[in-house]
Amino acid sequence: MRATYVIKRLLQIIPTFIAVLILVFLLVRLLPGDPASAILGDRATPEIVERTRRELGLDKPLPVQFGIFVQNLLRGDLGESSSLKVPVFRLIVERLPVTLFLSAYAALIAVLLAVPLAVLAAVRRDTWVDSLIRGVFQVALSLPVFYVALQLLTLLGAKLGWFPIGGYGDSLKDHLYHLFLPALTLGFNLAAILVRTLRNSILEVLTAEYVEFARSKGLQSRVVMLRHVLRNALISTVTLLGLNIGALIGGAVITESVFAIPGVGRLMIDSIFGRDYPVIQGLTLVFAVLVSLVFLMTDLIHARLDPRVEHA
Amino acid sequence: MNRFIRTTLALSSMLAFTQALGVTRGGELVYGRYADSLFLDPVLNDANVDIWILTNLYDTLLQPTADGKGVQPGLASAYTVAPDGKSMRLTLRPGLRFADGSALTAQDVKWSLDRARKPDNGAWSGSLASISNIVASGNTVTLNLKQPDPTLPAALATFNAAIMPQKLFNAARGSTEAAKAKAFAEKPIGSGPFVLSSWKKGSSMVLKRNPYYWKKGADGKALPYLNSIRFEIIPDDNTRILKLQAGELHGAEFIPLSRVAELKANPKINMQLFPSTKVNTVLMNNRPKLKDGTANPLSDVRVRQALNYATNKEALVQIVTFGNGKPMRSFMSATTPLFAPQASYTYDLAKAKQLLADAGYPNGFEVVTLATSGNADDLALLTTLQQMWGAAGVRLKIEQLDNATKTARYRAADFQMRTAAWTNDINDPSQITSYFAIYDNIQSLYTGYKSAEIDRLFAQSQQETNPARRASQYNQIQGIYMKAAPIVFLYETPYPVALSKNVKGFVQIPLGNNIFAATSLEK
Repeated sequence: MRATYVIKRLLQIIPTFIAVLILVFLLVRLLPGDPASAILGDRATPEIVERTRRELGLDKPLPVQFGIFVQNLLRGDLGESSSLKVPVFRLIVERLPVTLFLSAYAALIAVLLAVPLAVLAAVRRDTWVDSLIRGVFQVALSLPVFYVALQLLTLLGAKLGWFPIGGYGDSLKDHLYHLFLPALTLGFNLAAILVRTLRNSILEVLTAEYVEFARSKGLQSRVVMLRHVLRNALISTVTLLGLNIGALIGGAVITESVFAIPGVGRLMIDSIFGRDYPVIQGLTLVFAVLVSLVFLMTDLIHARLDPRVEHA
Repeated sequence: MNRFIRTTLALSSMLAFTQALGVTRGGELVYGRYADSLFLDPVLNDANVDIWILTNLYDTLLQPTADGKGVQPGLASAYTVAPDGKSMRLTLRPGLRFADGSALTAQDVKWSLDRARKPDNGAWSGSLASISNIVASGNTVTLNLKQPDPTLPAALATFNAAIMPQKLFNAARGSTEAAKAKAFAEKPIGSGPFVLSSWKKGSSMVLKRNPYYWKKGADGKALPYLNSIRFEIIPDDNTRILKLQAGELHGAEFIPLSRVAELKANPKINMQLFPSTKVNTVLMNNRPKLKDGTANPLSDVRVRQALNYATNKEALVQIVTFGNGKPMRSFMSATTPLFAPQASYTYDLAKAKQLLADAGYPNGFEVVTLATSGNADDLALLTTLQQMWGAAGVRLKIEQLDNATKTARYRAADFQMRTAAWTNDINDPSQITSYFAIYDNIQSLYTGYKSAEIDRLFAQSQQETNPARRASQYNQIQGIYMKAAPIVFLYETPYPVALSKNVKGFVQIPLGNNIFAATSLEK
């Protein structure tokens, strides 16, 4: 892997980033309704709304507002939440680890579920086993996330009492325990996406030339399976996970609301409803950085695993 | 009969006494809230999520009574009003302390009230607008007034008149008062029964017992009974209820009214419906022209009355509130002081049709209402109204918007109708009246309704120190408003709170404040 390739890829992120910056700044301001009214609610007089708008700097022309936003950003300051009156940076630092933990946990569960089952489905191709695995995940894919979440909560949480209902806990053990159901909800959904694609890519590999070649060299089929098939399956999995980071974040938004998890997903929803411009802007930037980095990492890992990737 | 009453009284007081002896101290109460607080400054906050727990952190000179009808002593043990009504003198209890142990003095009171009444400070400064200056001396505080003010005792029992520590506030970091307020509100020190111990915004908040709280419990020792309260933020109604049923919460607020019966039947749960000041209405745009310049049928009083006659309130109470509400008899709730029930609109379809024909709409008309999207209660209400009004020929269309958009629309008078719920913040009818019926405040909740007669009566009532005369003024105001029908009168709903059986002494008062001072966790 050449360092220039990495640097080139990093440089490519910058224009994306500037576009995201401008877009998100304009998008939030295109939303009907304004932060001052959203904070003040029903009872405030027009004078108080006006004063609050001034305090939030919303009375200035858009280019000036954008200038201030960029200036602060260059100083590493994401501004202050208009509803919570605390620095946006602090909110994100408090909440981001929760969402990252949940996403990683979900991804782990998805991989543990999807890889063995996809291999099984591919090897037992067109048998009842294959049909069953594909059928179950096909159903899972068509169920809304919030519905699955609620069913899991009711059955495993409330009825059987095996897991706590929602929350995040205070220690690593707690996190794993509290987040199991939400991670399962998300992971299941992600696994459904993975299984379908993985099964097909494994089938391709199984019928591919080099497996034939390996067989003809007299290697045992089990070793062939492990070395070639799994290596290729892994490439696909990493790529798929990377490509589905957006779905994972989207799923986290819903899951965090149902399970009362204090992550950035819920912060995003609250901020959109509350028209908290600084928080929406800050979060979108963080998401953009994350997604860009995940794509980059995906490419790099892909390149590491698959020697055929050309560093053009 | 008399003997019976005497016996019951004797029995119940005995019961109260034995219960009092048996109250358990200590423990942590875990309470599920639907949303977190935003900003814990009593003066600068704006939202119910703040207001409804502020009084646990900051005490006021007087306090609202639990029935919502009056005030009781708080930090002040007594007060007197001068014969001319132009000044009020309050006596502080001896030995008052803030939660950090420092003394609470008359100077803190003066400073706090001066800050609260600064016109530039927050949305609530108007409640103390009658004060011209404040004199602190020893353990007394004298409020000199511009004019007599019958609302002042209630105003001094309202969250924005909370007493804060001047020295600690000024020691907070920041160069401006606004910056200091933000810094102080992150780790507020007040004189309420509890003090903030930790706060993960949007996730959980822990309040610890304030060891210096002045009020005594039934066992003669200082309140509160609890060592701490842990608020868990659980926005999803189902999750909140599941957590309560699983025993992970001792209490959960905002139970959907559709689930009340089910929880009432659960032997492990004490389903409370606390009387509230909450009124649910459909507000109408009363202006002759709509925002786009077209004529507005709702500007005709006969049309507005017709819609009220076409509304079957009893049926709505059954369908939308699952029998947990009651029809409105005035624009204010029955729990509001000086509420006077009016001859309200009974369901009368023939009369509704007649009034519409008189107004020139024999075949009805089409009208659009704004609704909050995703709000199940709103939708249930409006789809039912669609059917009811349809019988009179009025075709109701529903436009669903998110809350911020809806707010922007009605503030710009760009609407025909909208759903709205209101709760009082102060134990006095002046607040709700100034919002519902007085144009000069916010155009009568943006309906555009204006009545010279109500304006006159209201101005009088704001300086009327004779309680009987003030009550009569309010009776007239409520009568005029009912006839003019600027709104569609619907129903009052309670605060539904589900508690586990071992929680005792918790109350949510009609204003919405959660009172944990005398709450205990029994074994």
